[in-house]
Amino acid sequence: MMKSKLAALAAVAGLSLGAALPAAAQSGDTLTTIQERGSLLCTGHNGSYLGFAEVDDEGAWQGFDIEFCRALATAILGSPDALQIVPISWAQRFPAIQSGDIDVIIKVTGWTQSRDTELGLQYSRPYFIGPFYVMSQTELGASSIADLEGGVFCVNAGTTVERVLADYMEANSIDYEPLSFESAEELRSALYAGRCDAIAGFGPFLASTRVNAPDPEALTIIGDVIQLEPEGIVVREGDDALLDVINWMVSALLMAEQEGITQANVDEIRANPPSPSIERLLGVSPGVGERLGLSDDWAYNVIRTVGNYGEIYDRTVGEGSRYQLPRGLNNLWNNGGLLYPLVLD
Amino acid sequence: MTDVVTPSEHLPPPQNTWGEWIWKSFFGSVSNTLFTLAFGAFVVWVLSSVAGWMVLDAVWRVEDRDLCGHGAGACWAVIEDRWRLIFFGLYPYEEQWRSSIACLALALTIVLSCVPKFWSVRRLPVLWLAGFSVFVALMRGGFAELTLVTTEQWGGLSLTLFIFASVFLIGMPLAVVFALARRSSFPVIAKGMGVFIDVVRSLPLLAILFSAAVVIPILVPDWLQSSKLARVIVAFAVFFAAYQAEIIRAGLQSLSEGQEEAALSLGMPYWSVILDILMPQAFRNTLPSTINQAVITFKETSIVTVIGFFEIMASGRAVIGTDEWGAQFVEIYVFLGLVYFVFVFGLSRYGAWLEKRMRVGHG
Amino acid sequence: MSALLRSKRIQSMAIQGGFVAIFVAIIASLVFTGARNIEAQGIASGFGFLERSTGWPLAFSVIETTPRSTYSEVLLAGLLNTLLVGGLTLVFATILGLCIAFMRISNNLLARLTGTAYVEIFRNVPAILQVVFWYAVLTHLPRPRGAYSVGEVAFFSNRGFVLPAPVLSGLDAIILALGFLALIGAFVFASRLQLTARAKLGAIGAFVVLAVVVWLTGRAPDTPLISVPELAGLRFVGGVTIPPEFLGLLIGLSFFGAAYVGEIIRGGLLSVDTGKLEAGASLGLSPWQINRLIRIPLAFRAMLPALSNQYIWLMKATTLGLVIGFSDFFAVISTSINQSGQTLELIALLMGGFLILNYALGTGMNAINQRLKIKGRS
Repeated sequence: MMKSKLAALAAVAGLSLGAALPAAAQSGDTLTTIQERGSLLCTGHNGSYLGFAEVDDEGAWQGFDIEFCRALATAILGSPDALQIVPISWAQRFPAIQSGDIDVIIKVTGWTQSRDTELGLQYSRPYFIGPFYVMSQTELGASSIADLEGGVFCVNAGTTVERVLADYMEANSIDYEPLSFESAEELRSALYAGRCDAIAGFGPFLASTRVNAPDPEALTIIGDVIQLEPEGIVVREGDDALLDVINWMVSALLMAEQEGITQANVDEIRANPPSPSIERLLGVSPGVGERLGLSDDWAYNVIRTVGNYGEIYDRTVGEGSRYQLPRGLNNLWNNGGLLYPLVLD
Repeated sequence: MTDVVTPSEHLPPPQNTWGEWIWKSFFGSVSNTLFTLAFGAFVVWVLSSVAGWMVLDAVWRVEDRDLCGHGAGACWAVIEDRWRLIFFGLYPYEEQWRSSIACLALALTIVLSCVPKFWSVRRLPVLWLAGFSVFVALMRGGFAELTLVTTEQWGGLSLTLFIFASVFLIGMPLAVVFALARRSSFPVIAKGMGVFIDVVRSLPLLAILFSAAVVIPILVPDWLQSSKLARVIVAFAVFFAAYQAEIIRAGLQSLSEGQEEAALSLGMPYWSVILDILMPQAFRNTLPSTINQAVITFKETSIVTVIGFFEIMASGRAVIGTDEWGAQFVEIYVFLGLVYFVFVFGLSRYGAWLEKRMRVGHG
Repeated sequence: MSALLRSKRIQSMAIQGGFVAIFVAIIASLVFTGARNIEAQGIASGFGFLERSTGWPLAFSVIETTPRSTYSEVLLAGLLNTLLVGGLTLVFATILGLCIAFMRISNNLLARLTGTAYVEIFRNVPAILQVVFWYAVLTHLPRPRGAYSVGEVAFFSNRGFVLPAPVLSGLDAIILALGFLALIGAFVFASRLQLTARAKLGAIGAFVVLAVVVWLTGRAPDTPLISVPELAGLRFVGGVTIPPEFLGLLIGLSFFGAAYVGEIIRGGLLSVDTGKLEAGASLGLSPWQINRLIRIPLAFRAMLPALSNQYIWLMKATTLGLVIGFSDFFAVISTSINQSGQTLELIALLMGGFLILNYALGTGMNAINQRLKIKGRS
């Protein structure tokens, strides 16, 4: 009698485990794994990282990084919904990709030497250029970082900012009290409450944090750039095929912007391509997909679904969003920025 | 004199009317009166400020949100505006009715299994199998008209309940195995299990769950890989089992050895003796401790928020994290506290009721 | 018969040997798979990183650390932080728990109701929620310029509590710590050393004299006896600052722990047979003497096992510091994992650290338990 009970319990236990999808793939050819699985495992955040990966009031993921996840899912699988966003903290992103819980890290991850080498990771070309700034409480009246001598500086734990700030402060012999938080939420509420005199971080994050403050005027971004950090998309060492797709996807988004191809006019241009390279980009003449192991219209699908780089930027962090970030360095080379597409031949 | 040392429960039963008894307990002696007056003033002050903040001066409706932060009261408008985010987390907005029904089904299963009528070898597993199937089918979908919702999108109260129920269900049989292994007649197994249980018990749950989330995938071969939620639940279950095993072992020790010997000498097989004779008694004897362990487990599900699951605690914090309601952190925390309180207090009262019931049964 | 016995023994050894073999096989396969995965992904491994400097600072540290400190130093600092906050949590939870327990068994209905309400409220809400709540409350205190002050010497602001502190050099602190340990030791082993009440008083006196002498003489010249904090620029200079992260964790866990500890103590007090108390009373002992000589020792023995479990639980709960930005052992490990990428090694250190910590705590409590038991029997 008891045995049958135990057996039934075991069955229930098995069922509950089965419910939690067996997913993770180990090292090997991740691109093939993604295609076989039919969905891409991409990074979210443990909470909201404003402008890049945030949870809206309906519980859906939004933001710049999320758009890139959707773009990648579209490129590989043809649909932005073939995507599972895995909520993950800063500290967990590297173990998570090493273990196969996620396929790629698209989480404004700075390209540093130790990560590139010791962690067994590979970076794509930068898809975002992030200058590090300091934002302080306006009431302190600081106009440079040196004015904040002795203040409490808050940062996200386990990010490059932690080290970059320590370096900068020591180089400029400024005394400060560091404080680091595991989640962006806790960091923000500490700042709003005045626990921190200043926070250091990557520019767009500071700007979005400021916009969301109960009183945005109470916070001021100080002009000194601590360091410029190129942010790349990260895959496991040995995932060359996937890395190729990512690099060319970033390039396609930039090229679309350079050539004036938008979500709205992509069908029109595709029907009547003005140049051979655009013909290739939109898959009118074959080859652009096959080389990457994708269908030829992948770039067309991506642009149709998420738009070009500029559109993504505007929608999530730029003019069309609440954050109103200027393009700055993240503009195309011919508009005073640092970004450029590769040559599509 | 002796009233200082005599525990209240050993006082003679009140012979006077209730009124007199209450009067006496407040103002029975000089020191009592002084204490009552001084401490009473403090209690009244605390109660009135809490009531003022929570009820009297509170802002209830979203329309009145402009009043928030100006008065002294709580701003419950935030709950009205964002309750769906709190209760459902990342679950797709249009599909949230599924999450609520699933949640109800699981809650009903838990409540029904607390009713002694269902404590039979046949009913309990059937009940849980049904409850869990309904829950998983609704939450996950992927058949008929229901769209597939993967575990990464599960969230809010239903995820909390799911983690709790799964940990309990997987942990309980594990605990039985652990307890039996620990009192095994083979010294190597008994000692080994003892060491294992002690090690697990001295590690923080957060560290164990974190390791399950990030380390296990590196250590196990491909064919054993599973999703993060599954790993975390199994690790949590092992932690639960290490505690529960000690409770069961205590229950087994409280039984007289004669029973086991008698049953064995009647020719009953070992497993039958364990499962049909010893375990039911051990379980009954340790029900209060088991319920207590369940209570602790329910509260500790909140820890998974740290490793990136959007159960109710994380969903609540997501509300504070968004623009509009950042200042209403106290309201959110109090509300979350109340939600946990409802479940945990219910469970612990149930435990107390069971204990009383058992005492009556034995008496 | 002996053949049968022998065959049974062989059988039992075979079964146990089988279990050991399976166990070893599982461990070996884990190690093997791990090593292969690490190699396949080109992840660096080994404990060499411990001697490398971290490059990031710690927000709170008992010992001095800088971004130049090595990983091993920073990890040690994290462990000491955990010990400090954990140790203080145990002390406060016990004191508060004792109050709650006495309230719950008091004759006064008001005290009983309050005690019950306290236990039900603080026990039924998750610890993490309480910690986060108290932290939020502490960071919403006024800013340093508008800090609440007590006579302009102690300040309460969202930077924490800033209190005046005696000025001591590192050497003085070590001397005092040793003296204090000796004092504690004298009391713990009071009965073995056969110390009289007078000798105990003498020991306390000697310690106080030592403290004052060290304090008065050990300072650098021209420094004040007591460092009083004052607002200078953005922060308070002087005195000792207790940051809100530390306080939030301490308050949250102490309040939570007190509810449990209180119940354990109450259970212990109620478990004492009334007959023994009446016997004491009939011998003419005063209520205070009955409490001190009969009730508390007996209750203490009854509640010790549960209490030691609770203490270990509280020690483990300090890992919640991670959530509010306190640099406890787990938070330091977590940041190190992210900054160095040595996940497996750091997780192993984490487990090892807590095993040692809780093993020590458990052994200590066990030793006390044993002593009490033997004393009770003799």
